[in-house]
Amino acid sequence: MADKRKEKKKKRYCGCALSAMVILAVVFLALVVISFIGGNMGALILGTEPVSILAVHQPRPELPAEMPFSGLPITNTMITAWIGIVVMIVLFAVGARKMKLIPAGVQNLVETIYEVAANFIEDAAGKEYGRKFFAVCTTIFLFVLANAWINLIPGIESIKMNGVPLFRNANTDVNVPLMLAMVSFCYVEFWGFKAKGFKYITKFFNFGPLFQGLRQLFKGRLKIGLSGMAMGLIAIFVGILELLSEFIRIISFTFRLFGNMTAGSMLTLVIIFLIPWVVPVIFYGLEAFLGFIQAMIFGALTLCFLTMAVKEAEEESA
Amino acid sequence: MAELGIDLPTFVAQLVSFLILMGALIFLGYHPIRKMLDERAERIKEGMAQAEASREEYVRVRMVVEEEISRAREEAQAIIAEAAQMGGKLKDEAKQEARKEAQAIIDRARKEMDQERAMSIDDLRKEFVETAVIIAGKVINETLDREKHRKLIEKALEESISFKRN
Repeated sequence: MADKRKEKKKKRYCGCALSAMVILAVVFLALVVISFIGGNMGALILGTEPVSILAVHQPRPELPAEMPFSGLPITNTMITAWIGIVVMIVLFAVGARKMKLIPAGVQNLVETIYEVAANFIEDAAGKEYGRKFFAVCTTIFLFVLANAWINLIPGIESIKMNGVPLFRNANTDVNVPLMLAMVSFCYVEFWGFKAKGFKYITKFFNFGPLFQGLRQLFKGRLKIGLSGMAMGLIAIFVGILELLSEFIRIISFTFRLFGNMTAGSMLTLVIIFLIPWVVPVIFYGLEAFLGFIQAMIFGALTLCFLTMAVKEAEEESA
Repeated sequence: MAELGIDLPTFVAQLVSFLILMGALIFLGYHPIRKMLDERAERIKEGMAQAEASREEYVRVRMVVEEEISRAREEAQAIIAEAAQMGGKLKDEAKQEARKEAQAIIDRARKEMDQERAMSIDDLRKEFVETAVIIAGKVINETLDREKHRKLIEKALEESISFKRN
């Protein structure tokens, strides 16, 4: 009996009988082949027209966000962002409404999100600063993630108003990554000034070594003066580089997110256009992962720059 | 810039949306959750401290109880030893008493027996004397008076007894 049961168990994979798995695999494969031959891809190769059910319209991605309501200055990325915002607020409001000492349901979910983020942030920035940086870093992460994942709802981009998609991944609107980059930049600079005071500006405009060199020169110490001046010029150059890197950070932040999300979105659209059945599921998975990674990178880099700004000040004071 | 879609109103709108999200999350989510987590951590800390205190109290009480048990055991042992000693003593005393009583009974019995024997011998002697006097009187027709005759027999008896004893 036990052997028979073992044999029966052996024939099951992922909770399904082997035969069911084989049938599913065959069906999926058949769908892939059908959508490949009957879709736009097959049509392009064979030089025929695609089967009507598989004839997906050619994607015409627009970089700027579009306005689905004529006369209203509301873009489709704004609508998607608002939906993401509402989802996040509702999720956290419901989860944190009547909190119990022993968590259950949505409270569990929001507490898990909070704890994972808090541990990550506090590990990097320490307990004191971790709590201060938490709100901005976590909100950036959640905002990017919500925008990326809302776009994965199947068919959401095919809902149109006045011939324009009603919803679009907000991360593919350059204004959103730019806004987030600006928030991140301003917050980092704010904390730099708060931790270091006015001395923070000497990181970018460091004329001290040059003046010291000049002073030595006027005192008649030619060799020390000249080397001091050379060091001063190098310090000024390093300061300019630091200043540039601060501003370049805005650009890198913006275009990293914008580029990745736009490329991911376009890739999914192209795949849906070429092979509309089954295959896009793989790309949806990749897109979900990409969205998470991008959100993580944005939040983590903000945290990293914040920590650097604060730790430098801490180290100097130490 | 325009080709990319950068425009100030959209930027500001998205910024406002983000700030609203952050404010709402701080107010509705982060603060209550932080408060709950802190409270829970505090409770856990208190619970741990209480558990530690209880454990220490348990160890202390256990030590006290063990000491008490050990002391009680020692006392019980002492009591048992004393009782055993006392029992032995009482037993010895009872034995001694019984032995004494038995001895006394034996002595009394022996004394009574001796008395009885002496009395019997005495009575026997008297009867013998009487009988001898009567017989002798009849034989010699009362040549001797009765008192002389008795004395003579008694003397003969005395001699025979002392002879037997020797």
